[in-house]
Amino acid sequence: MRLGVVRGSVVLSLAVPELQGIRLAIVEPITRERLASGGNMGGGKPIVAADQLGAATGHIVGFVEGRTAASPFWPAKVPVDAYCALIADRLSYHGGTDDRFSSSVTAGKIKSPPRKASS
Amino acid sequence: MFLARIDGTVTSTVKHQTLAGLRLLIGQRLEADGSPTGDPLILVDTFGARQGATVLVTTENEPLRNRVGNTTPARLLVAGLVDEVFQEAKA
Repeated sequence: MRLGVVRGSVVLSLAVPELQGIRLAIVEPITRERLASGGNMGGGKPIVAADQLGAATGHIVGFVEGRTAASPFWPAKVPVDAYCALIADRLSYHGGTDDRFSSSVTAGKIKSPPRKASS
Repeated sequence: MFLARIDGTVTSTVKHQTLAGLRLLIGQRLEADGSPTGDPLILVDTFGARQGATVLVTTENEPLRNRVGNTTPARLLVAGLVDEVFQEAKA
């Protein structure tokens, strides 16, 4: 599962029957550099992910990729390979050595990512 | 399986039902030399891995399916806490 920011959604006019009724969100993966900088989340190559949580634009989500992304639809067999598994309320990140932040994500959206000076 | 460093935590209210009650951490996959590689990952942890700890991560979802059911989308599980890594120095 990777972290991503919801950038929008996709509506299909025609779809294979297995995909009908499944909400699709556009998710931009969050890179290590962007996460460490504490703001301006994203940076990765956007993908389309199935969403059953109602993630809205700006929400930080955890999305899975690959075969297990279709597991929530089991026993139905759906052609889904990316799935929003959670909407983040809060991220606490202390990766790297010079960039540290602990950020509140209210209602899934990062409000004010405070950036601490490195110690 | 691969090694990762624990860089943070994720708190989430709205999530897939099978993730309820699981501890979710932000992990960073490591190269053989210990340098970070790839995007940050959300890991499921049952051991209480600490900030900065090195852990072994499995991408096989069998253990998670056994714990929380077949419909879980999650796959990355902290399979062990690393004590020490022995490795031959590069020539």
